[in-house]
Amino acid sequence: MLLHELLTPSSALYGLEGGSKKRILENAAEIISEQHPDMSVSSVFNGLHSREKLGSTGIGDGIAIPHCRLAECTEAKGYLVKLDEPIDFDAIDGKPVDLLFILIVPEDSTSEHLATLAAIAELFSQEEARNALRANQDSQSLYETLCKLSAA
Amino acid sequence: MTIDATYQYIFLSGLLVMLCVVASVLTRRIGAPVLLVFLVLGMLAGEDGIGGIKFDDFNMAFLFGNIALAIIIFDGGLGTKTQSFRVSLKPALSLATVGVIITAGITGYAAHIILGLPLLDGLLIGAIVGSTDAAAVFGLLRSAGLDLKERTSATLEIESGSNDPMAIFLTITLVQLLQLSDSGSQGWTIASELLSQVGLGLAFGFAGGHIVAQLLKRLPLPSSLYPLLALAGGICIFGITNHLNGSGFLAIFITGVIIGNTPLIYSNEIHRFHDGIAWLSQIGMFLMLGLLITPSHMIPIIIPAIAIAFVLIFIARPVAIVMSLLPFHFPWREQVFIGWCGLRGAVPIILALFPSLAGLEHTQTYFDLVFFVVLISLILQGWTIAPVARWLKIELPPTSDEPNYLHLTIKHDQDKNLLIYPVVAGSSAVGSSANNLPLTDQCQMVGVIRQGKLISDLEPQTFLPEDQVMILATSPAKTALGRIFAPATLSSSLKSNSFFGEFVLLPSAHMADIAQQYGFEIDPDSAEMTVERYLISQFHGKPVVGDQVQLGLVKIIVRETEGERIVSVGLKLST
Repeated sequence: MLLHELLTPSSALYGLEGGSKKRILENAAEIISEQHPDMSVSSVFNGLHSREKLGSTGIGDGIAIPHCRLAECTEAKGYLVKLDEPIDFDAIDGKPVDLLFILIVPEDSTSEHLATLAAIAELFSQEEARNALRANQDSQSLYETLCKLSAA
Repeated sequence: MTIDATYQYIFLSGLLVMLCVVASVLTRRIGAPVLLVFLVLGMLAGEDGIGGIKFDDFNMAFLFGNIALAIIIFDGGLGTKTQSFRVSLKPALSLATVGVIITAGITGYAAHIILGLPLLDGLLIGAIVGSTDAAAVFGLLRSAGLDLKERTSATLEIESGSNDPMAIFLTITLVQLLQLSDSGSQGWTIASELLSQVGLGLAFGFAGGHIVAQLLKRLPLPSSLYPLLALAGGICIFGITNHLNGSGFLAIFITGVIIGNTPLIYSNEIHRFHDGIAWLSQIGMFLMLGLLITPSHMIPIIIPAIAIAFVLIFIARPVAIVMSLLPFHFPWREQVFIGWCGLRGAVPIILALFPSLAGLEHTQTYFDLVFFVVLISLILQGWTIAPVARWLKIELPPTSDEPNYLHLTIKHDQDKNLLIYPVVAGSSAVGSSANNLPLTDQCQMVGVIRQGKLISDLEPQTFLPEDQVMILATSPAKTALGRIFAPATLSSSLKSNSFFGEFVLLPSAHMADIAQQYGFEIDPDSAEMTVERYLISQFHGKPVVGDQVQLGLVKIIVRETEGERIVSVGLKLST
């Protein structure tokens, strides 16, 4: 599955508010649940939060990829988040995080979704991709940049 | 010797050593074992080569060979960290004793059949080629730029440092047996010989090691004399132990381990000095052995030598490895690699001089034969170690470069250092703060120097490029700090990610939760465990960095250990 197929223009969230890891995940959960009412705020938040408890999904260089499997989820959803102020995320390299890709997949997700997760990590490991995403000033251009990057 | 000839000799030896050093650059490019080059250069300089130097003084070769070997083994001991004993001491000792006996026995029996020699003579050849060469193995691994999993590298290191005494003991015993069977008397027992070799070796090694370490700690000397004191101490212990019929090689290895693991103010100088002197010994010894051999004499023994070498490499060593590692549950890939790393080096060639010095028959044949077996082992195994390690997937990604840091040892408290790390643009230190450093009571922040001024109010500060960060720390903390301040090499962090996986798991995470998250099946017993317990049980209580388990479509990988504990686990999404 190509990355941009997971996203819609409304799933790029520029300047999401929240001063801590927990607040960011809560606020993201609210928006996700608003757009997809079949998933409740608490189940999205709990899913992401319990995955973080196994170890931070901050993979370094200011990037985090929070992800989880949810029973309520019917098809994989991706959200790209850019923060104004980097926050502490207990990342591998200890650096604060400002760019997140949230991935939520169905409970019975297949190997395809692990491949998607790997592809996201791969994309964000490229410095040019990170720079291109960080250069955006609003949600629309953030979305367009990701589409360009994942189609390339 | 005339004055003029003296200077000619000095010039020639200087030239040869220089050629060796320069040649080592070339070998690194083509991946050839550097020892082979020294040997070939020696042969070229010798009587059949262009140099035409005639050298056949076995006594002198024996003297220099012994000194050089002692220094090389001492250096090996200095570099052996006692932390590595955790996973590898017992398996390595099993290899160094049982392993050598099995290798020597099988090879010896084969030599007896192939050459049609009496059984004892055959076994003598087996004993001579019984031990692996520390220097040969590690020189090759290092020049190939290979980082191996600790279980493998530490086992090989301790094995090759400690198996020479066994081979030497077997050789001496067999030489004595052969002498006695000539004269027909039986005035000694093998057991008392073994007891004296090992007992004295251990006793003198431990006692001498502690004495030299205390001297190094207490004597006020100019800094450049400390390495010399260490070397002289080691050689003294080697000499006296051998003189009293103990194993000098075992003693000097232990002395080296003790000195190398004692916190000393000048330990860096000592290591660097011995590294250099060990190289010189290596070069000197192989050049000399190359000179000693007369290639034209070797032609008749080529076929039997190849046959013996093949038995040694493909039958004796693998059987010995499997049998001696049986109680330790090594993963098969690592066993195969350890088997392939049975490089023979200088020790067998030096040991091959024993029979002739003891006045036995067929000694020239022994020497030529052993020389050829070593040559085959160096070429065949030496040339292929790096590819084999890659093929078996037991190498680790290269650790990031050590950053350049200033380092002051605090006198009177020899394990504390004042470290000053520059913050390099692009390193992961930039943008982090004192809170991100692994600070404990063993590792304290002193301050940051920015544009020549000391900033001690650290709370709000993030590090900027060109800052100098001062930290008071014990030596073990240096690794973690080094990683943070290391100059960012994109390739090394990429390689490390592709090896250890995209994500990091806490050691305390439960297997059941991980299984649920990544959709793999796990048996109920394992599901109860934390990932740390699970990995420890999978690797029989001794996990090392790089150990991995495939679970469904993901792999969990040991990323970092601290003593017995696993402190970081990687999760890799296989695609």
